[in-house]
Amino acid sequence: MSDSTNEAAGERVVALTVNGDSVRRLCPSSRTLLDFLRVDLGLNGSKHGCDVGDCGACTVLVDGIPRLSCITLAVEVEGLAVRTIEGAGPDEARIVAAFDEHVASQCGYCTPGIVLCLSHLYSEDPAADDEAIRQALGSNICRCTGYTKILAAARAASQREASQPAQGGSDE
Amino acid sequence: MLPLPTFEYAAPTTVLEASRLLGTPGSRLVAGGTDLLVSMKHRLFEPRLLVSTRRLGLRGVSVADGVLSVGAGTTLREVARHPTVLEHLPSLAAACRTVATPTIQGMATLGGNLMLDTRCLYYNQPAGWRASLGYCLKREGTVCHVAPKGRGCYAAHSADTVPALWLLGAEAEFVSVRGVRRIPVSSMYHDDGMAWLRLEPDDVLTAVHVPLAGRAVGHRKLRTRQAIDYALVLVAVRAPVDGGLWSAVVSSVSPSPIFVEAATPADLAEAAFRACQPLSTHLPAATWRKKMVRVEVARAAAALTSA
Repeated sequence: MSDSTNEAAGERVVALTVNGDSVRRLCPSSRTLLDFLRVDLGLNGSKHGCDVGDCGACTVLVDGIPRLSCITLAVEVEGLAVRTIEGAGPDEARIVAAFDEHVASQCGYCTPGIVLCLSHLYSEDPAADDEAIRQALGSNICRCTGYTKILAAARAASQREASQPAQGGSDE
Repeated sequence: MLPLPTFEYAAPTTVLEASRLLGTPGSRLVAGGTDLLVSMKHRLFEPRLLVSTRRLGLRGVSVADGVLSVGAGTTLREVARHPTVLEHLPSLAAACRTVATPTIQGMATLGGNLMLDTRCLYYNQPAGWRASLGYCLKREGTVCHVAPKGRGCYAAHSADTVPALWLLGAEAEFVSVRGVRRIPVSSMYHDDGMAWLRLEPDDVLTAVHVPLAGRAVGHRKLRTRQAIDYALVLVAVRAPVDGGLWSAVVSSVSPSPIFVEAATPADLAEAAFRACQPLSTHLPAATWRKKMVRVEVARAAAALTSA
């Protein structure tokens, strides 16, 4: 555990793991995890949406669990492992491919948060059904798609993970 | 862009140290932060010092002598998935699952839910929004926009888990420099939107104890969307034991949850309807919310009867 420096100025050293890399930065106590990622580390994949925890665009995985980085303090994840969309692996790549196939991403602002939420869902329930997908995506707002194509993509990614090959665009 | 105000931060490793820090002016406890940090962005709170619960070891669920003990720092997600909760206290699991969104359930804690600030259409708004209206009684202003001629603040108690915990006979355990005490959840709250907690600033909620005795409780939450939104009406209903009375706790209609009891489900719904006087603390009409109290109590009771 790092001793704080410049505590009088309200600044602290925050050490954590981001996408597998150890990171140490001096930052104010009031720094959100979202600003820590975007401003201090230059990782712009996590999006700045509503700023108050409603929309899910800023979602990252902290120790594998989705968290809203806009209402998480960087100092509160000291010592933990953060994964952003920049750290996407094969699990996320498969979801992104399904989004491409089903045109589930339009402006793309909500997509990183949704992909990480779905990745977490499938890590717990590889064959998640529609109800489970809808529950999980209650955390994320999309203003473009009307959700139909997002659900189609999520359904396809789920079925693939359950080793039932997707049959291609027959969802309409 | 809603920047946080600046503050000092401490993450003590003992509850007594946390209590000592909370006894200093301008300090607040932060657990999940899902409501507090939003309120700080809205400048509803501008604490000098944030005291974190993260190193206090308050996370975890245990069962002993027929009582489920939940550490106050346990997330709602963890509570809702615990096998004992699912088997013996399904209403508590259901209440946890109706909080905001699954992502927030993985951040927010049970303790934070019990300590949740009261809410109002004129209070939970950005600083600029509130300034343009001349602020409100609960924060920086002198007039309550809900009841300008009223006697106080009517911001609504909005903690999703409290009605069920109340009827399950749960107790909250607090630790401070003065010692340890247990308070029934049913006597934690005042009917005052500005001073709704019967607690001292340095009281640290450490655990919630819930008896597993099998009294069936049903939980219902009326809201606009089935995710994200706070309740418009929150209801828990308990079936009678040994020929006793039906009971209900209704929340989100006043600063303190409201308890009523009656001999039959129909009488219970009518008693709740009469006892609740919701005001315009939420966007949908208060008259409709009052009618929905009767509907939701009846639905919760019917679900228990058919179970």
